[in-house]
Amino acid sequence: MNIPLLAIILVIYIGVLTYLSYIGYRQTKSAEDYMVAGRQMPGWIMALAYASTFISTSAIIGFGGAAGVFGFTLMWLSFLNMFLGILIAFIFLGDPIRRMSNNLKTNTLASLLGERYQSKFITWFIGLMIFLLMPAYTGVVLIGGARFVQESLKMDFNMALLALAVIIALYVGWGGLKGIMYADAFMCGTMILGMAILLITTYSVVGGVTDGHKALTGMAKLVPESLVKGGHMGWTAMPKLGSPIWWTVISTIVMGVGIGVLAQPQLILRFLTVPSKQALNRAVLIGGICIFLFTGTAFMVGPLTNVFFYETTGKISIAVAKGNVDMIIPSYINAVMPPAYIYLFMVTLLSAAITTINGLIHVQSAAFSRDLMATWNVKTNPLLLARIGVAIGTIGAVILAYILPISVIARATAFWFGICAAGILPALLGAIFWKGVTKQGAVWSVALGYGVSIFGFIFLHAAEAVPFGICKAIFGKPTLLPFPWTHVDPLFYSIVISSAALVIISLLTKPLPRDHVEKCFRGIGRQSRPPSGEQVVT
Amino acid sequence: MLGMADGWTSLVWILNVAAMILCVVYGAIHWNKGGDGW
Repeated sequence: MNIPLLAIILVIYIGVLTYLSYIGYRQTKSAEDYMVAGRQMPGWIMALAYASTFISTSAIIGFGGAAGVFGFTLMWLSFLNMFLGILIAFIFLGDPIRRMSNNLKTNTLASLLGERYQSKFITWFIGLMIFLLMPAYTGVVLIGGARFVQESLKMDFNMALLALAVIIALYVGWGGLKGIMYADAFMCGTMILGMAILLITTYSVVGGVTDGHKALTGMAKLVPESLVKGGHMGWTAMPKLGSPIWWTVISTIVMGVGIGVLAQPQLILRFLTVPSKQALNRAVLIGGICIFLFTGTAFMVGPLTNVFFYETTGKISIAVAKGNVDMIIPSYINAVMPPAYIYLFMVTLLSAAITTINGLIHVQSAAFSRDLMATWNVKTNPLLLARIGVAIGTIGAVILAYILPISVIARATAFWFGICAAGILPALLGAIFWKGVTKQGAVWSVALGYGVSIFGFIFLHAAEAVPFGICKAIFGKPTLLPFPWTHVDPLFYSIVISSAALVIISLLTKPLPRDHVEKCFRGIGRQSRPPSGEQVVT
Repeated sequence: MLGMADGWTSLVWILNVAAMILCVVYGAIHWNKGGDGW
């Protein structure tokens, strides 16, 4: 290990982050600045912050490792990430969400939906779900960063985890969203560089695009017997339709995360920070390139690690990683890259971890201070409450990161994204596209979305129900229903139920007051500015 | 195609590149559109 070189890189890196956070701290004068960066963030900074928050070590380490096991099928997820997460989200959702948030003077997703539907229940319930369940996702992102530090610096995993958590808590608590977004934009630049080098190096190592894929196709006979029985047909082919692996990969990993991105509180918050539709349009260009380089690279490199490891060690990736899916990408990078690049990738992955955890802990702190405490009329300094939320969120994530088992990153991420999609997405789409949604329709949609999802994870979906053990304790069997329900992600049925509840109950119940709905939709669906005299709320 | 074992996997590889290009083209065409304020 080249300690002087590593020390120089880390000092420069942490110095720049500290300076950017300091700028954010200096510019944070109000709760509005802390929560939504004063709603005046340039589009290019928003896009870089969105992309780097979106893509974490979970995507690069966890899902990249899963691609090393399941193959190129996971690229359906990176396609959805770009198509839904960038094109659809920025072009169709971003502008109405930011306008409605400004119309209703709200600065979190939960409070936006609560005000839109005139329901305190929606605000505190979504806030509570975020506060209680988001640490599962924050925890695995921490694990991803710590695993790479462990592998590349030969550092103790627990020490790496603790050091990462302390750095992140300081940045979030200090600079608010402005500091986070400035630092995110810088870190996104390091991620672009690191991932572009990884993509080019990998295809070059395996002999080019077509030859690399052909080599991997020729290795299909090396797929472990247990995976073949589950429906694995090789790393360059889709799993057998309807097999356990097909259901896991398509329903949980691809659909759960691919759809769930549209309802991620930490990403939706980014829309509230820009001052114009033009900023969102510009963000599409930058966001598309970033997501391709981040997820596209991870899901192309993951399967191709098998070619590299087989040629160099005679083993496939999961064997080299000793059965821990989360170690495939760290092992590969440490094996294929020269030492100087490993430090660059360490900074890349640290950036991926910090940017996402920053965003998650910021949202958790906002959920605590704005959605829970303010809704429950706890009167105290809002910035103090937000910083207490940072401390609680960080401690919760670290505790979970210590508790969670190996190979958990991709699965826990899919859990969080899926539960958000079922609980929030129908109510969010209804809020911005259908004036006829009623309070009762939205309340039941949110409650059923979360409720059915949680029921599915505890009693039906084997990956969670078996380790939880609650179903076994109550009913004497690990899951209530047989295959395929043991492998169908709860998102599949919970989002149908929550969507149906939103529509049916809204058609049967009393609409919201007309003037309130008109206020919500003011300026939405047209390009013009608000009537003279109205100002953006800052 | 592209050395993949089935058409779906080739298709998704191409769709990834196409989606990225679509984002770039859309962003470039709309760079100065959409107004610069509320």
